[in-house]
Amino acid sequence: MPRLSRWLVRTALAWLLAALALGVALAFPTLPARWPALAAAWPVYLHLFVVGWITQLIAGVAYWMFPRVDRTTPPDDPRGWWVYATLNLGLALRAGAEPWAGTHWAGVALPLSAALQLCAAVIFVITLWPRARGR
Amino acid sequence: MPALSAWFVRTALLELLAGFLLGALMLATRGQALAPWAAPLLPLHIELLVLGWLANLALGVGYWILPKHATGPERGRRWPVVAAWFSLNVGVLLAGLRIAPAIGRAAELLAVILFAAHALPRVKAFGVGRGIEPGRGRR
Repeated sequence: MPRLSRWLVRTALAWLLAALALGVALAFPTLPARWPALAAAWPVYLHLFVVGWITQLIAGVAYWMFPRVDRTTPPDDPRGWWVYATLNLGLALRAGAEPWAGTHWAGVALPLSAALQLCAAVIFVITLWPRARGR
Repeated sequence: MPALSAWFVRTALLELLAGFLLGALMLATRGQALAPWAAPLLPLHIELLVLGWLANLALGVGYWILPKHATGPERGRRWPVVAAWFSLNVGVLLAGLRIAPAIGRAAELLAVILFAAHALPRVKAFGVGRGIEPGRGRR
């Protein structure tokens, strides 16, 4: 398994743990009432699952298993590290800012998070597209 | 990777990109009033990512890696899988854009039925149909 894939899969597992922990906190009847920011974290919970866990796990396995463009291509696509960095930084910013939507901090962090995650998707599609080819 | 799998995977990648673009617009708008018109696109964002991205990818990779048939065409008949691709993606658009949600959902269901009919005979123990007893020989 290439190094990039190992990091993507490990980080996906970390986000899964974070999502489940947040799910526990959201399910406690008294906690969201005590911390309104926690009550607003439902979209964060969903995105930790779908982006942090599922999509990142798929990215890790795809960079590993999809046929390489040719035999000279290294197993670790260096552009994939940009996917790793932008996806995780974007998701972490979202997790930190979305419960405080409406504040100055969130006003800066949420558009930045959106741009980073969109960058991750663009680079991921550009790097995987030539490897998804029929024969 | 067979050509049909490449169709599914490339469609999945396009729908991932479209889904992330809509998501980015909606998320950025929670911070700044950049694209207030994007909020009603939430159902399309969900449809593109949950069915467009994940289901297309799963079906495409499934068609590629499930065990092949011992006789006849190695992956079976192509038409149910082509029909599943068409039905799934028409369904995503009809349901996501709220043009005809019920018809869209029915098309998505039809896609899964068609794919399952194709794939179930390929879900088998190693060696079945090749004269190798399951659980013996190469694993």
